[in-house]
Amino acid sequence: MPVVDVDPDELRRLVGTEDDDETLKSELFALGLEFEGETDDGEFQLEFAPDRLDRLSVEGIARSLRYQYGEDRGVYVPTTNDAEWLIEVDETVPEERPYVTGAIVRDVNLSEDGLDSLIQLQEKLHATMGRTRAKGAIGIHDLAMLKGRAADDDRAKSIQYRGVEPNGDRFVPLDDDAERTPAEVLETHPTGETYGHIVEGMDRYPAIYDDIGLFSFPPVINGKRTEVETDTRDLLIEMTGTDQWTIDKMLNIVCYALDARGGRIEEVNVVYDDRRLLRPDLSTSTKTVSHERIETVIGIDIAGNDVVDLLERAGLDATVEEVGDEELVYEVEIPPYRVDVLHPLDIVDDVGRAYGFNDLEPKYPDVSTVGGRHERSRLEDAARDALVGLGFEDLLNFHLTNEAELFGRMGIDPDDDAVGAHEPPTITEPYSEEYTVVRTWLLPSLLMVLENNTHRQYPQDLAEIGLAAAVDHDEPTHVAEHRAIAGVLARTDASYEDAKARLQAIATAFGKSLETPPTDHPSFIDGRAARIVLDGESVGVVGELHPRVLVEHDLELPVAGFEFRLDGLA
Amino acid sequence: MRLPETQVALLEAASATDTRTIEQLADEVDADSVAVTRAAFELEAAGLLTVEEHRAESVELTEEAERYLEQGLPELRLYRAAVDAGADEGGAPMGELVGAAGLEGSEVDIALSNFARKGFGRIEAGEVIVDLSGGPDVDPDADPEMEALEAIAAGEAGYVDEGALDRLHSRGLVVRSDTTIRSVTLTDDGVTALMEGVEVAETVGAVTPELLTSGEWRDVEFTEYNVEADAETVNGGKEHILRQTANRVKDVLVGMGFQEMEGPHADAEFWINDCLFMPQDHPARTHWDQFGLEVPPMEELPEDLLARVESAHREGVGEDGDGYHSPWTTDVARQVDLRGHTTSLSMRYLSGEAVGELEPPKRYFSVEKVYRNDTLDPTHLLEFFQIEGWVMAEELSVRDLMGTFTEFYEQFGITDLEFKPHYNPYTEPSFELFGEHPETGELIEVGNSGIFREEVLTPLGVDCDVMAWGLALERLLMLMYGFEDIRDVHGTMCDLELLRNVEVVH
Repeated sequence: MPVVDVDPDELRRLVGTEDDDETLKSELFALGLEFEGETDDGEFQLEFAPDRLDRLSVEGIARSLRYQYGEDRGVYVPTTNDAEWLIEVDETVPEERPYVTGAIVRDVNLSEDGLDSLIQLQEKLHATMGRTRAKGAIGIHDLAMLKGRAADDDRAKSIQYRGVEPNGDRFVPLDDDAERTPAEVLETHPTGETYGHIVEGMDRYPAIYDDIGLFSFPPVINGKRTEVETDTRDLLIEMTGTDQWTIDKMLNIVCYALDARGGRIEEVNVVYDDRRLLRPDLSTSTKTVSHERIETVIGIDIAGNDVVDLLERAGLDATVEEVGDEELVYEVEIPPYRVDVLHPLDIVDDVGRAYGFNDLEPKYPDVSTVGGRHERSRLEDAARDALVGLGFEDLLNFHLTNEAELFGRMGIDPDDDAVGAHEPPTITEPYSEEYTVVRTWLLPSLLMVLENNTHRQYPQDLAEIGLAAAVDHDEPTHVAEHRAIAGVLARTDASYEDAKARLQAIATAFGKSLETPPTDHPSFIDGRAARIVLDGESVGVVGELHPRVLVEHDLELPVAGFEFRLDGLA
Repeated sequence: MRLPETQVALLEAASATDTRTIEQLADEVDADSVAVTRAAFELEAAGLLTVEEHRAESVELTEEAERYLEQGLPELRLYRAAVDAGADEGGAPMGELVGAAGLEGSEVDIALSNFARKGFGRIEAGEVIVDLSGGPDVDPDADPEMEALEAIAAGEAGYVDEGALDRLHSRGLVVRSDTTIRSVTLTDDGVTALMEGVEVAETVGAVTPELLTSGEWRDVEFTEYNVEADAETVNGGKEHILRQTANRVKDVLVGMGFQEMEGPHADAEFWINDCLFMPQDHPARTHWDQFGLEVPPMEELPEDLLARVESAHREGVGEDGDGYHSPWTTDVARQVDLRGHTTSLSMRYLSGEAVGELEPPKRYFSVEKVYRNDTLDPTHLLEFFQIEGWVMAEELSVRDLMGTFTEFYEQFGITDLEFKPHYNPYTEPSFELFGEHPETGELIEVGNSGIFREEVLTPLGVDCDVMAWGLALERLLMLMYGFEDIRDVHGTMCDLELLRNVEVVH
């Protein structure tokens, strides 16, 4: 979940409150912003769920707090000035990153705090909506350093979003002092190493030019020429990405933050081959919410004007309409910085939050149903009871393991015709070398437990009932899953007979006939291993573990063991 | 009169005039003092003896003291070595003396400090100089501490001077403890019984078939056992603690009317994520968070459902609904993963795929394993058990959700549940559940819940309300037991001792 660092004094100033830190924290918690700690500079670290991305800056949080305090009500939309600049989208733009948007903000008073907040907002938007810049990347520039090319009529100034050959035009990137081609930036610049993979494979890289030349290489890095400083007054904000809606919304969030700092927003024309967009798009949207839905979801009776009041306190506007049989609906107007409202139900949630969910009285739902366990889970429990009754310590091991444990250390090969020898389901990008596959059988897990507990008292009679799986193209998922029962007896006089005696007891308990025809299995001693046949069906193997396997697991005493399918007992 | 052997021996050895201690009597009758004590109490109960108790101090030599008893106290050995080297005339180098006195390790320091303390001489510039002029009492040949050690060894601790005893105690050479000394005296009845004659009753070791069938058991006394002694350790089998916890949870849920679900661990991302209205470019859907499997895509997905889910992602649901502005492909939906939550089962059940179309009301649950590509640490595993439950009914409100979960958590001692509004892609409203820790009283997160979005339910063909919640079973276990490292119980690194000795869940 996103974490935002916020200076509490700055927040108080923007909200217009003198609340102490503790009050502020509890107000923030009520908004869903959890206080996680403080930075070295005494800033609050606030964590929240990634729905309200308009709260990724101190300005956005202040806006939400002003609604909460009742300082503001209803939808606010900043005014915008007419466009002077345009962004022309050239046909050379890489098809992998076709979209661009932008805005100009003038007379902004940044100061140190303002600049820090803007940089943080940019980073947090990159991490969330921007999907680490792949879906949307933000570039902010000092407008005074740009020279627009004359376009349209005499007054208009244009910059171009286009493609650049990897070894084409040079520019000086931020935090550098030499002119480099985009390809050189990817090799030498730290951000080039981090974000280079996004442009990997493109014939031409995304680039933004003014009349002087290349000044931005999105989504990797801006040029040094247009770097924003604390005394910068006028800003160009450009965003490029793979989805127009996403970058437009990111732009709205940034514009609202700068508006809160006194900036004047000026529109920009975005000129595509086939269409012309005026950005930022600060138009509101509407959703229709029924009064009945609000009452049933929250579980309260509430008057229509109270709902409107709650909606306004949530920063929305609403008009009530009566439709049909005294049925109330609300036309709700949603401000352009909200990215989380997909459905009328999201408005219901806003009403609930403004009402205060924790003020609701819990009630047990008045519906009656019959409970019960799944058949497989009952069988598994009965088998586990039988094992425990025979003195086995019931274990619970990981389903994930690696091929060395499953095969090599057990003396088998996945291609053998033996219990446990199957192609294991393999993880595409494993977290660690220890956990790369799903286990094909359980005995290796039990031997690992024996191996890790040689300092504990013997005898060690261990058992597990759990999942095993194998690649099987006859299954819809291409993975065959089954539950298996495995047991080991580690004691100074453990023998085949000990294992078989326990198997017999289990078979009897489940009313199954047991046969044990001899078999070869490389994990067991020749002549001391048998197939487990329950009611005529071969379901597993029993025997004395081979000394090779014992020594491999640092065991200094004999071990007898068995493994068979749980459904053999069904 | 017939009495057990030990009682007879004790009665015969006891005296009506002399008070004798149990220790002395045990020696005399050649029996274990515990057995004699027991016999004494039984005879007292029969009115044949009186037992008196008084407290006494016992003094025992430590191992170090036993060694000094043989070799001499270190300072005395140093003194003798010094005298032998002629240090009473001039000085002798300390290094040589340490060797000659056979002092090792910490004995050197002990020797030097006590040598000075007892006024045997002094150490100057690495030379030991013997000088007994410090006082008339200084006499290494009659050292009070050495004499005290010898007296204690001879069993005459009672005669040792208190000062010397304190000194030995502070040097860690003796252990002093209080013991109870019991002494016995024959009563008049005891004397009479002896005069009338006391016989030893026959004792047998075990109940045998012959004993029972012959009726001989009527005339025998059974050998007494030390019933207080520790018995051999028996490690009975036990259900795994996490299984016990799971079963406890299952019991509670079945009691609340929930049916158990079942389904595949390896499943298409469609069931795991897409049905849940998780956009395909959601950060939790990258390779770093979920376990993709190297198997071909799953072709067998219900095509009409696939189309409805895709439409929900792209266009939203309902007249006023919006979709995500994220890419969506069936290739991603068909990719097979290890499930990251058991909500894949809920989706299979709600869609009718698992057990046919469901009519409200219904309650379903599962307590099954899920897999997360997360960091392995004391509280996080790559695989863990998720408790998942949902309620389907014509109309459900947030209050119904609160009532259900309040009831569930109270079964585990977690009260004062708080509902923090939260965001999940698949529920709205959503709540993080916080409860008071049963031991520490802290407010801790105990689950995540909400009412399924219409974008989830409508494609599945469900036109009533469904509320759901989930939490990690391990979290509940750690709360109930205070385990600090979950790896001690779950997985092949488990400690057998801990599993054997852990308290059962009930």
